[in-house]
Amino acid sequence: MSYLEYTVKSVPSGLRKILYLNWPIVVLLTAVACIGFLMLYSVAGGSLSPWAEPQMKRFALGMTAMFIVALTPIWFWRNMSVVAYSISVLLLIFVEFFGAVGMGAQRWIDLGFMRLQPSELMKITLVMLLAAYYDWLPVNKTSRPLWVLVPVVFILMPTFLVLKQPDLGTALLLMIAGGLTMFLAGVHWAYFGAVIAAGIGGIAAVFESRGTDWQLLKDYQFRRIDTFLDPSSDPLGAGYHITQAKIAMGSGGWTGRGFMQGTQSRLNFLPEKHTDFIFNTLAEEFGFIGAFSLLALYVLIVVFCIASALQNRDRFSSLLTLGLALTFFLFFAVNMSMVMGLAPVVGVPLPLVSYGGSAMLVLLIAFGLIQSAHIHRPR
Amino acid sequence: MNRIPLRPLARILHARQVGENPDAIERENLRIRHEQMRDKARQRAEGRLLVMGVMFFCAFAVIGVRMGHLAGSEPMEPRAQAKGASIAAQRADIVDRKGRILATNMETHSLYAHPKQMIEPERAAKALAGIFPDLDEARLTKDFTGARKFVWVKKKISPEQKQAVHDIGEPGLLFGPREMRLYPNGKLASHILGGSGFGREGVHSAEVVGVAGVEKFFDDQLRDPTREGAPLQLSIDLTIQSAMERVLYGGMNLLNAKGAAAVLMDPYTGEIVAMASLPDFDPNDRPRPPVSGSPSDSPLFNRAVQGVYELGSTFKIFAVAQAMDLGLVNANTMIDIRGPLKWGKHRIRDFHYYGKELSTTKVLVKSSNIGTARLAKMVGATRQQEFLKSIGMFDPTSIEMVEARTGKPLLPQNWSELSAMTISYGHGISTTPMHLAAGYAAIANGGTFIKPTLLKQGSPQKGPRVMSAETAARARAMLRLVVSHEEGTASLAEVPGYAVGGKTGTADKPKENGGGYYEDKVIATFASMFPAHDPKYVLVVTLDEPEENTGGEARRTAGWTAVPVAAEIISRVAPLLGLRPDIEPVQLAGITLASQ
Repeated sequence: MSYLEYTVKSVPSGLRKILYLNWPIVVLLTAVACIGFLMLYSVAGGSLSPWAEPQMKRFALGMTAMFIVALTPIWFWRNMSVVAYSISVLLLIFVEFFGAVGMGAQRWIDLGFMRLQPSELMKITLVMLLAAYYDWLPVNKTSRPLWVLVPVVFILMPTFLVLKQPDLGTALLLMIAGGLTMFLAGVHWAYFGAVIAAGIGGIAAVFESRGTDWQLLKDYQFRRIDTFLDPSSDPLGAGYHITQAKIAMGSGGWTGRGFMQGTQSRLNFLPEKHTDFIFNTLAEEFGFIGAFSLLALYVLIVVFCIASALQNRDRFSSLLTLGLALTFFLFFAVNMSMVMGLAPVVGVPLPLVSYGGSAMLVLLIAFGLIQSAHIHRPR
Repeated sequence: MNRIPLRPLARILHARQVGENPDAIERENLRIRHEQMRDKARQRAEGRLLVMGVMFFCAFAVIGVRMGHLAGSEPMEPRAQAKGASIAAQRADIVDRKGRILATNMETHSLYAHPKQMIEPERAAKALAGIFPDLDEARLTKDFTGARKFVWVKKKISPEQKQAVHDIGEPGLLFGPREMRLYPNGKLASHILGGSGFGREGVHSAEVVGVAGVEKFFDDQLRDPTREGAPLQLSIDLTIQSAMERVLYGGMNLLNAKGAAAVLMDPYTGEIVAMASLPDFDPNDRPRPPVSGSPSDSPLFNRAVQGVYELGSTFKIFAVAQAMDLGLVNANTMIDIRGPLKWGKHRIRDFHYYGKELSTTKVLVKSSNIGTARLAKMVGATRQQEFLKSIGMFDPTSIEMVEARTGKPLLPQNWSELSAMTISYGHGISTTPMHLAAGYAAIANGGTFIKPTLLKQGSPQKGPRVMSAETAARARAMLRLVVSHEEGTASLAEVPGYAVGGKTGTADKPKENGGGYYEDKVIATFASMFPAHDPKYVLVVTLDEPEENTGGEARRTAGWTAVPVAAEIISRVAPLLGLRPDIEPVQLAGITLASQ
């Protein structure tokens, strides 16, 4: 039984819970989503279809889901975390055999009204399970090798499944988010040091393996790394995305070309302009000011999440909030780095702004969990 | 951590005395311990959070700075920063000793296709086949309509061809700049220059690398960007090279030789002014190495620095000079030449019968094998080895060509007394014509050994002394007599106005599969220097299997083959070298030479 449950008498109940929502986060999320609608409207050439309108509908759906999740007591979610994790893993196995193939990878299950990406769902349920695990585990056992091994298995199982799809970006995000959650839970430093050292060794091995029989990555993955290291080596081929994206950013300058005036995106130079590379459209039309404002909004959301976690004395709640905030942070940081040429192109969408159903839905459910933890915190 | 014991005996005993419940103490202590543990975990968590916060901040800062950096950057077209723009025009030119271009670069274009971007692949293939007759239309159509994303069409095209392709109007056909090595003089000096090819190839550029000759030897230097394209200046003189190649080519054809080589060297500086090996090739279109047959028959084979031959009697001067230098004989010492000279099973014979004895000078002039062998016996095998080593006959020449390393002299495994005798007249030792030129240069310059070089030198070089200046002068006078004396073997080398001194050599060619020598195949060599009294240049001419048929019987000796060719080269080249024809000093009789 969690600390939270035996101090439950101070927790608000019924519709009064709405008053205790973390409203600043709701406002910030809506603001970010609105920027997304504007951009989708712009890249479609000043039209609600084909992207802005469905995106709005999904946002409304996602917000509803967020409120439902938020009003459900957090201990319910804690008790459900093992179930949620198991379902996610089963879905991942399911896509492995029956999933639709898109863009060279098996990632989706077609539900009719939307396509579900289990790997998106996995990002939340993994953090949930880890938080619940460390809530359950006595603190003095946190750094015992055997008790460290258990969450490592929890992380590696879905990572391996996602890697098989193959989706290197999501697999890495899962590993990093899981590892950082363990770090926050207080696992001893030495474990992370060892993993980082092994990681560096592994990267060296991957590069060594190139061109040999035991090549560890696919050719396209090597090419992406090459392109990342030197995008101008192949400006018409694999480096095309990055080069055009950088041109868009540069052409925006400090104040931008104005709403609906971006030539790079308008003239179709920019690839994936409504999904992964939407940030460049924003930067081209609203310049540095617009891009930096979006970054500031994201940062504020993360800051509010951290503040909420610090107020929360329940171990599960605070770990869950921090873990999810971290995942959210990883999303936008990796996407922005990628489109600005700071990281290899790994296909991570810009949260709440990029066009895409399951990513947005899953993200809003995650914020529902954060809100639930906030409402039901012991006072 | 200081833990409070859960069941402190003192307190429990005290509680029993007072009548309180001792279990309460344990429960209370347990609660305190849990609170301590929780506080500690919390502290640690907050520390961890701080670390994470710093990481967050760093990430935000990096992203923000990058955003500003990109916003402030000028949007640039990707083509401008394409790799290879910097490679262009990096390979330095090669020039001759007067600064005339031997090798330079030319900007051409390569033609490639992106079939995915093509609008009418069939029409493009047809048009291309029309412009380039060597391309196959069916194959192009297959490439353009297949799954390939990238197709090389032509690696090098001319500006006219480029315009014609441009006029097809097919957006999927693209051009890349490509630097090409150009040898504007064609076949001239082809063996020296070697040639070049493409190394790493990309769409926007291709690396030009040397594949042979000085292009390969100086590859790093030619490509070194820090030299800023400063041309590589060779010691070759284009005019002399051209004249020498022309005459040598004519002589080779006239004398039905299958190959020829010539080296013209400045004996003071070591500079190779001209060097030719025939047959030759065009370095602009370097042929592939032959897959069958002997590599030495390929036009790529450089006879002057790669080919090792027994150069025959040209070596006699070394035996004579050494014997004189050691004081064993002088120019007039009479040598017993009764033959045949028996040594074990081996017999040494002369070409003609020259009588019972000859002076040292006459031994050389008439080219007596027996006489030279007797001199070598006096000198001895050890001293002979030392001398030949000092004039570079033991190692590959140090000339700046990759091929030179393979021109390693063939020496007898066991340097016996008999070897010493045969080597004295040039049998049993095989060297390249370049070795011979360097050896003669030591005599020509007054007794110092200068390493031959292909780089222009500013001043005369210093080398180790291998014989005294007087010996060298006497040797030169004797070499002059080989040409000027009516009984000399090289009397055809008399060039009016230019006193030539030199020595012929005719060696039977060894059979390829071992087992003796051919009767009718020779290597004819003439090693010479001019003007003989104060030599400015050394010239070595070698003909491979020459045959002179004008006199009824086939004549193959050097006196009838290599000598006239060399004389013709000298008569053509000497005025170009700035030597004035002069009247020879008073003809001295052979006998009085020693007192000179």
